[in-house]
Amino acid sequence: MASSGFRAGRSGSNRFLPPDPRVEEPYRFTPQLALRLGILGAVALIVFGILFFRLWALQVLSGPQYLHAALDNQVRSIRVPAERGEIFDRNGYPLVANVGGTAVELSPADLPKTWPARLAELRQLSKVLKVPVRQMLVEIKARGNDPITPVTVRESVKRDAPINYIYEHEEQFPGVRVVPTFLRSYTYGPLASQLLGYVSEISPAQLKSLRKYGYQAGDTIGQGGLEATYDRYLRGQAGLEQLTVDSLGHPRSDLVLVRPQKPGESIRLTLDLKLQRAAENAIRYGIGLAYGNRQYQANGGAIVALDPRDGSILAMASYPAYDPRVYTGRVTTKRLAAQGLTGATAKQMNYPALNRAIDGVYPAGSTWKPVTALAALETHTISSSTELPCTPDFSVPSQYPGFPPQVFKNVDPYADQMMNLPTALAESCDTWFYRVGYDFYNMPPSAGHPLQAWAAKFGFGKKTGVDVAPESGGLLPTPEWRKRTFTAKTDPNWRIDRSWKPGDSVQLAIGQKDLLVTPLQMARFYALLANGGRLVQPHLVQDVVEGGGGRSAPRVKRRFIPAAPQPVGLDPTALAVVNDGLFQATHSSIGTSQSVFRNFYPSIAGKTGTAQENPQTNQRDQSWWCGYGPAQSTEPPQIVVCAIIENGGFGADAAAPAALKVFQQFFKSSTQTTPLGSGAATG
Amino acid sequence: MIEAVDTRAKGLRRPRSESVDLTAFLGRLDWILLGAVAALVGYGLWAIGGITQHDIPGNPGYYVVRQGVYAAIGAVALVAVVFIDPEYYRRHKRVIYVGTLSVMLLVLMAGTVSRHSKRWLDLGFFRFQPSEFGKLLFVLFLAGFLADRARRLGDSRTVLQTIGFAAGPILLVFIQPDVGTAMVYAVALAAVLFVAGTRWTHLAVLGAGALAFILTVLWILPSAGIHVLKPYQQSRLTGFTNPSSDPQGATYNVRESINAVGAGGLSGRGPKGATQTNYHFLPEHATDFAFASLAEERGFVGVSILLLLYLLVVWRGLKIVSAARDAFSAIAAGGIVVAFLFQVFVNVGMAIGIAPVTGIPLPFVSVGGSAMIANLLAVGVLEAIHARGTGPRRRLLR
Repeated sequence: MASSGFRAGRSGSNRFLPPDPRVEEPYRFTPQLALRLGILGAVALIVFGILFFRLWALQVLSGPQYLHAALDNQVRSIRVPAERGEIFDRNGYPLVANVGGTAVELSPADLPKTWPARLAELRQLSKVLKVPVRQMLVEIKARGNDPITPVTVRESVKRDAPINYIYEHEEQFPGVRVVPTFLRSYTYGPLASQLLGYVSEISPAQLKSLRKYGYQAGDTIGQGGLEATYDRYLRGQAGLEQLTVDSLGHPRSDLVLVRPQKPGESIRLTLDLKLQRAAENAIRYGIGLAYGNRQYQANGGAIVALDPRDGSILAMASYPAYDPRVYTGRVTTKRLAAQGLTGATAKQMNYPALNRAIDGVYPAGSTWKPVTALAALETHTISSSTELPCTPDFSVPSQYPGFPPQVFKNVDPYADQMMNLPTALAESCDTWFYRVGYDFYNMPPSAGHPLQAWAAKFGFGKKTGVDVAPESGGLLPTPEWRKRTFTAKTDPNWRIDRSWKPGDSVQLAIGQKDLLVTPLQMARFYALLANGGRLVQPHLVQDVVEGGGGRSAPRVKRRFIPAAPQPVGLDPTALAVVNDGLFQATHSSIGTSQSVFRNFYPSIAGKTGTAQENPQTNQRDQSWWCGYGPAQSTEPPQIVVCAIIENGGFGADAAAPAALKVFQQFFKSSTQTTPLGSGAATG
Repeated sequence: MIEAVDTRAKGLRRPRSESVDLTAFLGRLDWILLGAVAALVGYGLWAIGGITQHDIPGNPGYYVVRQGVYAAIGAVALVAVVFIDPEYYRRHKRVIYVGTLSVMLLVLMAGTVSRHSKRWLDLGFFRFQPSEFGKLLFVLFLAGFLADRARRLGDSRTVLQTIGFAAGPILLVFIQPDVGTAMVYAVALAAVLFVAGTRWTHLAVLGAGALAFILTVLWILPSAGIHVLKPYQQSRLTGFTNPSSDPQGATYNVRESINAVGAGGLSGRGPKGATQTNYHFLPEHATDFAFASLAEERGFVGVSILLLLYLLVVWRGLKIVSAARDAFSAIAAGGIVVAFLFQVFVNVGMAIGIAPVTGIPLPFVSVGGSAMIANLLAVGVLEAIHARGTGPRRRLLR
């Protein structure tokens, strides 16, 4: 069998394979080589042992876990945005609605894995969408440990050219999707903007505190105003779709709806669109009147209209306002700055985001006098027939021996007569009320602080609890407050400032000095005067509705029941005297706003206020007017209006005519052109 | 020395009896090794068929057909090599060495660049990767060089000379750059020195030197601001020690590879259900990460079959070393077997996260013509050594 060639090879001396002279010993399989081969064999066994062991651990022991990871890899969860509830006025006019838009979303998990490729794609995207790369990177980074929830790069109402470009070149932009979305649409633009609020994507800080209520990254959430207060009704619940994708983010399956979206609930306000519009125009009208009176610093104001029977807010206007449409689509600092919504421009634009009706605080001025009057009547400091002198000034002896008395002046320097309470209210005599205030000061400590106590019962010094934020509680000064506030730490003159002095009581009686109120608090107090002494709960939302808008009339789903008006325990006769004073103020020939309201039907009762200039804050007189109608009628009063024109001068000059505009809209009538002096011809 | 070899070369042509006893010659072949390799090639083709069936839309068999053609070419080459006496390589080791170096230089000058690396010569119909064939030629040359100095092996000069000659091809592959193949060359060098019988002390010094070199390149020099490796190479080599360090970047491949392997479970997800492969989460699933794809589609059972076949090949290879006729054959066989073992370990280890990520293909499985043909050629050399060796023949004769 064996050939000679092979045998020759073995012997090493055959011509087929002659011996190599360099190999002096014939080759043999030495023990040394055997050892080394043994080592190699052992290494091979160890290597395969390691591989088998590791594969067993990976595939058999942890297989299910990796299978899960592999399945996760390919499944993208896609939020299906829920349509946010709409906001209607009391008559079903949509104030805030939705409009279908388009969003460009980025899925960080599906972006290119290598940094250069990723940057190149973002650059390209930035070029098309005009969104800075840096901003996209910041937003992607903000997602951090959540690579699944997409980042919305840009939203737009219209499907414009850049978005179309992305849509048509989707292959070039792995990880980028063009999806339908809902955007807020503000039917009446800046109307009630501070009140309605706006929406935006939930911030990381909000997400942290609200996650337990089911909020998720990427959610739209109300930011301020009613959008924030009623967010849990309006937001609805986003749906969830799942999709299988490959490593480039390209879809490999159809969308599967895992959880359908639940549209948000719509709410209906107590607000009346037409009245709101009238109120906003009225502020501008009042400012215009102030300008006519050379009050050129008039630059803001607020009007609150309230139903005194149940506290429904019919109008809540604050000026200046902003256009909430800047928060729709892409929000840029430039657009916000143009509306005075950035820190840098807010002051210059006189704080348009501030809702002055509930968050603006002002000295009440003479509109406060009914509070003093009621407190004095209730404590029997005065009676309905008490006659006090109305003098050009009122002196209070100094507390410190040897010092001259402190003198408080009347607005009208020629006044000098005895008058009763209604007349003092109608004429708004300051010195008359100074005397009452001084009487309060001289009360024994056992009597407490009746003026502040009654003011607190009327809702001053604390928030009204209206269903929109942010609200201020104002400031109701008391001796305790002075002691608390003026300490060695905060005030170099604390030894003097911490004590309650006669001047504090005297000036509080006419709503000056430290007292601060919001227009809503004033409106609520005048509602109490109008409704027979009951404190109402102001509120803006009356029910949750379905449908509405252009489709059908809203159908009530759930009603919000406001707290019932609470009687504060006022003597009806005391109330009648004060209301008589307010009626005289608008109708008697000496009334401060009779020129404005005298001829209006139905008859209006109300009080002017001119809160005094504060040189420190560069403010002129705040022009106030608060009142209600119909007054002295068989019908109960249906509306309270409180108006303030910042730096508007005398109350009768700016605020009262502005308030009249609101009454005109409400009663759908206009002043009768009857000759002056003919009295209350119509009522 | 060369003349002496030349005169004796005539002796090769004289006996005519070899072809006459073809059946006897066939009986001396290691049929177990051949069977194992045939099984590996067949199994590899079947695996690639499953792995790549979604890669070319409308043509699921594209890669299998190409790979099959390469396997056929490789088989013919294997048969041809079996009939060449290994002594022939020893005598022409210089031609082999110079030829290998020249082709590698040609690659550097005229090679095709693909994914940052210049490894290929474009021959139009075939992209030829010399470094794959170089593995075999490199081992043959070193084996010849050491066999010629069998008596002076204890001399440190011989060891240094060997390393000096080996440095050329290693460096040329390294600067392509192809760190993985350079590592295979280095391991082959260590293997031939080990099998040839280099002193333990020398081996220990070499081992320490290699360790110091690795530490220097990967750690000391980079911290001193000198970067021998490109950053991506560096992070690939070291990334496997900390797979979660950069999930989007360097270790992305490894993470997805481990996911794929683990997801395969015991019996695999099949070619249809293997989402890691089919949706391209697993990069390079037909070449570098073919093992991970196979593991995903065929599971632990499937990869066990593959690994057992590899183990069979290694075992037969080591047996061939023990039965070699002469020192050259033994050293050459040892180098081939260790290089093979190393490639299997690094490729599989990379897929399961216990070895650095390098572009070393999985023998007989990864798509690639050069590697397939070169590996079959190496098996041919092993068979040629076996057929002329001592062990089997002794058994045959008795």
